[in-house]
Amino acid sequence: MLIAGIVIILILLLGLSLYNGLIRKRNAVDNAFHSIDVMLRKRYDLIPMLVDTVKGYMNHEKEVLTRLTELRQAVIAAPMAMNQRVETDNSMMQLFSGVMVSAENYPELKASENFLRLQGAINETEEQLAASRRFFNAAVNDYHDAIGTFPSAIVAGMMKLKRISYFTIDDDKKERPDIKLS
Amino acid sequence: MQDTNSFSTFYHDQLSGLVEQIEMERRKLVRRQAVGYILTITSVIALFISMQSDSQGLTIGAMVVLIAGITLWAITWEGRKGYVRHFKETIVRKVIEFIDPSFQYHPKGFINENDYKRSGLILDKHDDYEGDDYVEGKRERTFFCFSELKTTRTEGSGKSRRTVTLFNGLFFIADFNKNISGRTYVWSEANPQLDFFKRIFSSVADGLEKVKLESTEFESRFIVYSTDQVQARYILTPSFMERMLRLEQKLGTGISFSFLQSEIYVAVPVKDKLFEPTFFRPNDYESVGDYYNTVHAVIDIIDELRLNDRLWGKE
Repeated sequence: MLIAGIVIILILLLGLSLYNGLIRKRNAVDNAFHSIDVMLRKRYDLIPMLVDTVKGYMNHEKEVLTRLTELRQAVIAAPMAMNQRVETDNSMMQLFSGVMVSAENYPELKASENFLRLQGAINETEEQLAASRRFFNAAVNDYHDAIGTFPSAIVAGMMKLKRISYFTIDDDKKERPDIKLS
Repeated sequence: MQDTNSFSTFYHDQLSGLVEQIEMERRKLVRRQAVGYILTITSVIALFISMQSDSQGLTIGAMVVLIAGITLWAITWEGRKGYVRHFKETIVRKVIEFIDPSFQYHPKGFINENDYKRSGLILDKHDDYEGDDYVEGKRERTFFCFSELKTTRTEGSGKSRRTVTLFNGLFFIADFNKNISGRTYVWSEANPQLDFFKRIFSSVADGLEKVKLESTEFESRFIVYSTDQVQARYILTPSFMERMLRLEQKLGTGISFSFLQSEIYVAVPVKDKLFEPTFFRPNDYESVGDYYNTVHAVIDIIDELRLNDRLWGKE
């Protein structure tokens, strides 16, 4: 009787420890996603700066600039599901890259101090965003290991924990703005 | 900075004469030391014979020769210190000035003890802290300094008392090219600093989390801890990790890095004294070239890690 009691207590303690471990890993994923969110917002804040800096120089890209502004407004106006957010973000980045490449055709723009500062700011944000993505993917990997391996998989099943998508960018959308370091 | 071909020209134009003078000084000291050896050994043999033969005259003569031998040794010892000082002040200083005239060289200076402690690269507490050959300067936009350092700790007592070397090698500090606020440590797997007890008792361990990185090669060579998971990855980008691995291959196993307060600290363990002149081997183009290559290899850390590539907000 006593032995059965001890075994039950040990099983409960193990279950509790596994439960807490899984919660910590899920929180780590949330925390990592939050850091991506912060960086994405930093990137969105650069869009009005970019538009203000280039609009006086670029005559043929007005439509692109308008589309970029619209996308930014859409993404900050209402919360989006993660997948939709990634899609919108990738579309923005394509337009963003396009504007930066087009800037090569405007020597005066390229030489302006505001544009150079902006290039630096974009590069900095991209580096931080890449770091946040890597942290998120590492946290997701840890979480997947926990929910997929014995014995925590049993507790994860009882908690109905599901796999989470990695933060990946399609290969054709991986291009970053062409930035030269000062 | 200058290349190897121009070093050859520089050596033959400006250094060879000085090296020849230093060589004369060295040879004189070696001869003096050899005479000291001969006198001491001869006097010891003579003393032994005099004890057997009970000859008072031989004993007195042997004692006089022994005193002369020991005096010569003492003079040579002082002369060696002067020779090392002279060598560093003329040859090493000229080599460093040749690499970049703006670099400052202080033969007796070394990295501040507080910087060493702050770096967190060697967590064991030391009893003795010494160093020499301090070099500082600015390579393009990056300020750097380095010196040789040796830290030791005394363990045990009585007959079991022994001195343990904690670090012996080059210690390098430079401006880091990104704005960083937290603390990130990249310790060598060959010398991981944060064992079970240090995790509990060391103040450096406060708030540190292990950082798992994607590169399996990097993970097999280094162990990374940081106060900020995102910032650790902001510093350790895939390309930066590759450059750190290349640096490890070049400078040797055991190299460790830390990143704090917008500075990078690098500890490179080295067995030998890097800037000391040889005493029993002649100084020549090859040996002086070794000093040149050593200084170059250290300053190349800046180029290898691209510390001059500045991002926005960091000047």
